[in-house]
Amino acid sequence: MSLNVVSLVSVGRHPQSGRARRADQDGRAVELGLKLVAKALSVVHVGDPDDPVLRQYAGMGLPSMTILKQDKSIDAVPILSQFLQQEKIDIVLTGVRAESGESSGMVPYLLAHALGWPVVARVADIVSVKDGEAQVLLALPRGQRRAVSVKLPFIASVDHAAEIARQSAFALGLRASIESVESVGEVDRIRVDWQESVAKSRPKRLKTVKAKTAAERFKAATAKPEGGTGKVMKNETPKEKARAIFDLLLEEKVIR
Amino acid sequence: MSNVSSLGISSLGIVRRDPRKEWIARNRLHPLYHEVINEGLGSVVGPSGLIRKNPHQIGFIGPNGIKRIDRLKGNGADTSNKRHGSAQEVVLPLHVVTTPDFYLVVVPDLVGGRLSSHDKDILGLAHALQGGMEGNGAVVAVCFGDVKETQFDLAGVDRLIHLTGTEFEGFTPEARVAALVQIDTQLAPQHWLFPDSIHGGTDLGSRLAASLGERPATQAWQVIPEKVVCRGAGGSLDIARQTPRIVMVLEECGNAIDETRHEVLPISVDALEIQSAHLIDHGQVAVDPNEIPLAEAEFIVSAGNGIHNWAQYHQTAQALGATEGASRVAVDDGFMPRFRQVGASGTWVTARVYLAVGISGAIQHMQGIGQCEKIIAINTDAGCDMVKRSHLSVIDDSDVILSELMQLAQEYGVNDKPSQENSPEESQNVA
Amino acid sequence: MVIDWLPSVLIVTLLVLAVIGGVRRANLWRAGQPDKVNIVAGLLAMPKRYLHDLHHVVERDKYMSRIHVATAGGFVLSMALVILVHVFGVGHQLLAGALLVALVLMFVGALFIAKRRFNPPSRLSKGPWMRLPKSLLTFAVTFFVLTLPMAGVLPEGTGGWLLTIVLSIGIVLSLSEMLFGMTWGGPMKHAFAGALHLAFHRRPERFGGGRSTGLKPAELGGKVHGVAKPSDFKWNQLLGFDACVQCGKCEAMCPAFAAGQPLNPKKLIQDMVVGLAGGTDANYAGSPYPAADGKGKALGEAQGGINNVITAGLIDADTLWSCTTCRACVEECPMMIEHVDAIVDMRRFLTMEKGKTPNKGAEILENIIATDNPNGHSPASRTHWAADQNLPLMKEKKVVDVLFWVSDGAFDMRSQRILRAFVSLMKAANVDVAILGDEERDSGDVARRLGDDATFQSLAKRNLATLSQYEFNKIVTTDPHAYHCLRNEYGDFDDDGVLSKGASGQGVEILHHTTFLNQLVQQGLLKLDAFKGGKVTYHDPCYLGRYNGEYDAPRELLRSLGIEIAEMERSGFRSRCCGGGGGAPITDIPGERRIADMRMEDVIATSAELVAVGCQQCTAMLEGVVEPRPVVKDIAEILVGQLAEEVH
Repeated sequence: MSLNVVSLVSVGRHPQSGRARRADQDGRAVELGLKLVAKALSVVHVGDPDDPVLRQYAGMGLPSMTILKQDKSIDAVPILSQFLQQEKIDIVLTGVRAESGESSGMVPYLLAHALGWPVVARVADIVSVKDGEAQVLLALPRGQRRAVSVKLPFIASVDHAAEIARQSAFALGLRASIESVESVGEVDRIRVDWQESVAKSRPKRLKTVKAKTAAERFKAATAKPEGGTGKVMKNETPKEKARAIFDLLLEEKVIR
Repeated sequence: MSNVSSLGISSLGIVRRDPRKEWIARNRLHPLYHEVINEGLGSVVGPSGLIRKNPHQIGFIGPNGIKRIDRLKGNGADTSNKRHGSAQEVVLPLHVVTTPDFYLVVVPDLVGGRLSSHDKDILGLAHALQGGMEGNGAVVAVCFGDVKETQFDLAGVDRLIHLTGTEFEGFTPEARVAALVQIDTQLAPQHWLFPDSIHGGTDLGSRLAASLGERPATQAWQVIPEKVVCRGAGGSLDIARQTPRIVMVLEECGNAIDETRHEVLPISVDALEIQSAHLIDHGQVAVDPNEIPLAEAEFIVSAGNGIHNWAQYHQTAQALGATEGASRVAVDDGFMPRFRQVGASGTWVTARVYLAVGISGAIQHMQGIGQCEKIIAINTDAGCDMVKRSHLSVIDDSDVILSELMQLAQEYGVNDKPSQENSPEESQNVA
Repeated sequence: MVIDWLPSVLIVTLLVLAVIGGVRRANLWRAGQPDKVNIVAGLLAMPKRYLHDLHHVVERDKYMSRIHVATAGGFVLSMALVILVHVFGVGHQLLAGALLVALVLMFVGALFIAKRRFNPPSRLSKGPWMRLPKSLLTFAVTFFVLTLPMAGVLPEGTGGWLLTIVLSIGIVLSLSEMLFGMTWGGPMKHAFAGALHLAFHRRPERFGGGRSTGLKPAELGGKVHGVAKPSDFKWNQLLGFDACVQCGKCEAMCPAFAAGQPLNPKKLIQDMVVGLAGGTDANYAGSPYPAADGKGKALGEAQGGINNVITAGLIDADTLWSCTTCRACVEECPMMIEHVDAIVDMRRFLTMEKGKTPNKGAEILENIIATDNPNGHSPASRTHWAADQNLPLMKEKKVVDVLFWVSDGAFDMRSQRILRAFVSLMKAANVDVAILGDEERDSGDVARRLGDDATFQSLAKRNLATLSQYEFNKIVTTDPHAYHCLRNEYGDFDDDGVLSKGASGQGVEILHHTTFLNQLVQQGLLKLDAFKGGKVTYHDPCYLGRYNGEYDAPRELLRSLGIEIAEMERSGFRSRCCGGGGGAPITDIPGERRIADMRMEDVIATSAELVAVGCQQCTAMLEGVVEPRPVVKDIAEILVGQLAEEVH
């Protein structure tokens, strides 16, 4: 049985330079797709077929990409769900959140809802696909994993714990054929009313001091900040020193 | 007014007399006489929030253990001092919502069955939101499965929906979302608030939004009744929009409740129809600490030039259940593989605890561990940069300390215990 | 004398065979890509290139240069005379006498060559090369005897048919080597291919004392990017590989080889020959590529063909990524072979076609593409280091005398110390200077050495576009890598003459900071106190020395402080690389030792307490050596410490 896997990609944004780039999670979604079905992977993007960033995805060794030609103001979800309904697809891979636009991370959920498929969020790896069922590892915090099985077809959003996207080769990207498909879409009306501005830095939460008296307020204002140099153990016996380290590890709950 | 007391204990613990209070206490005709006399004699906040006198608490235990009533009426400096010393448990006023005009539903993550600080912030935020809206709203918390939390009242839960049953145990987003949809029709909440977190809040919120056909606000960090501000475009954009029904809120965006208690009245949910799940949970997978990517690892034992016995180092790291890291020199010398290198030219780590063995701390290395919370150093040089940055430093030969540590770990039996202590109920849930 | 005709027939036969072989060999080279070469001018210039430029390199080894002159000169002369005397039968006694003299000369030379082969150093190839001196001696003796009667020393017909047979055998043996072998792949191939290589060299600028070190731009958008198969090399590059004499001077100089990384420049070139001629490396008789596990590939396992992908069976990618592009091999090669060009050509294929830059390579390239600096820092933080430096920006000044090209050292805390020191010195000398600030981008050096020429070209064009907005007379940089790119590699993209003409029309002077500082000191603009520290040595950065020929300015600067430099054994054009070039720290191919450690041993051998450097990359590499070790300082840092306090 040959799997039919589609990776959906978007135009990313470099966190430091703000420049358009291959989105990190979308790149991993393509990598996972390539791992599952190699060159049989279809990669789909909604947007401008002439965007140079697409070549960065294609440079991962994609013979071709399908671009559903659309303007930026158009809602991608209806177009995508229409496109995905046309073919018999087993697995759709996306990133968890886009690096540009709304970054709501809703695309996989909305597509799944539209198609009536299950959605698996934050996939670290798809271990195997057998008899119409996939064994999936989900990413949990701190490198932990959860095993889940799910019947085909399904939509998975790929976490940044998944295998990193392979290097994009300039020449492969140059040669890939970008197939532009005309599609009918609607303007995202809800978004029109939104006001967008450059992100303000969020204030860090300070230790709120609920001081009711002047003395308490004074104390809070003048208290010596925590930290400074740590404890240095020099002349204790090795046993005591090791004990101190071990106790700290226990206290921090890294030893269980 | 309630703060007057003839003896004040300043924050530095110095006992100070308050001559004005003493003067009032001597004058029975003074309008403030009763307040001064009864101060500190035990008052209780009643269920409706009214302050009541508790006659049983009047008096104090004398030096010989016998309870006495203070006839000195505040003139006895010594004894009233003692009363202050025995810290009285603060009983917060109860926030009562008798007939709510609307509901705000919060679905906390309940990591390990307890409210996380993120959860508490959002409960606080829900109250702030409620306060800014017309009418009297109640904050509802929806909890699934095994719950260990005991202080829902202090966290601001007016109403609690607790759904138990095997269908909600472990990783069951589909069943949970079906329940949330049911709750949505039952309560028609004004807003749904989810923590935008990797612990499941985002997933559940997104599923609910898709099911209800709502356009949620995600990564919200300013939420008021009229407007939310969300992060967009990979955190580089602020999107201001009307507050939708479903809001997923980032960390530290609300203030947890700390001055009121809440009723935690249970709400039952009408019969639920849960369809068979597509996703079948097989529980958490035991992950070898050394398989965890260095950047994600929680506890790293890192080796540098000061290690002589590499076998012992590896054994110790294993015994402690730590991920291995290395300095550039250790890698260059071929003792450790390149992907273990910590630092500006290697991996930037985020470990909570970083144990640096025999690493003096080149600037590039210190850059790489900048985000670590607790740093422990084992080094022979007390003057090295690593020791300066450490919370605990041990000046000794690495071999000696490592062997002691290994022994301690073995005595403690680190490896005999299952590796996921934080969610045992999930790991057992192999379907 | 029935068989008197035999020697001449043999000579003619072998000559014909040699010509056939030559044509065949030339066809092998022609499988390569076309390259514009002025054939006639090249052929005309060839003798001078041989006698002057090549001899200049060989002359570094006096013993070898003399015996080569004797042997090669003797052979060429005697071969010409042999054809005249024995084939065309010009029976003039004088000619025969001259032939005898030439043969004696050759014989003496060959004797010394044979002596050298008694106990050859490990860098020399063995195998057929051990046979060569014997063939040379056979040739000399055979034709000496054959010519004696014609010179009138012996009567005609001496020895009878027996001698003729013996001489004929000698002729067959020696001419097989000298003529047939020359064009059919024997050791003498070096003479044939080498001569033509000199004539059709890809970098004719190198001859006559010139310098040509900038990499040639890769063609983008073609059928293949970089070199996948031997046939993707330019034809004269293939010819160049054939010119190799397997002297192993490159091997002896290669830092990666010494560090036990899997690179041996000589073997690499021989593998290229295997690739162009087809077959296996079974006949290779020199040192193999070092292998960390001591095993490595057995000879004969590497297989190649003109249309086979090189990295699929002929050489490992790790071999190519071990190179630091220090050009020590090129500098040392008597045959003027361009190893680094070939290596980067093949890297281009691996990066641009395969997407297989090893280790951190992929990440670094991605960062360069997305942020214009290798470590992915925010481009807006490029000027943070200069927050307290009060340096004007080009954007504000527009016109300035000196443009300070800061380079990516701006993001590195160690390199920032060098930058600050240099700024202090310029301020002390009241230089009219400005920086590009956040408008500056990575020079593209790392991207280009890692084979990503597309990114390099894009950076070069964008940097040139930025530079074209401003007027300046000089660009000064503390980074020799950026210096090299700006000076030698941007020219290929500078269609508008931003650097070649400049605002003044005179061209922009591009200088390394040591050169510039030396000018300031010479002009008396910098007042410096004498240096009173301990012993000092100087490490020549490859991209300053070998790439740009600047050996003197840094030394003069140190001398101006009263420092007597304790030179390392390998210094100047033979300086050993620090291991930091060519993206080597990024691709990080394991070896037995680190190149930087070896270089620090060189430093320690001089018992210097301070090693002066002129490159931030060298500084980083040498400071990475575990202490205790001598202190590493950039020359600017040393100078700023000796800046005489102005009394106002």
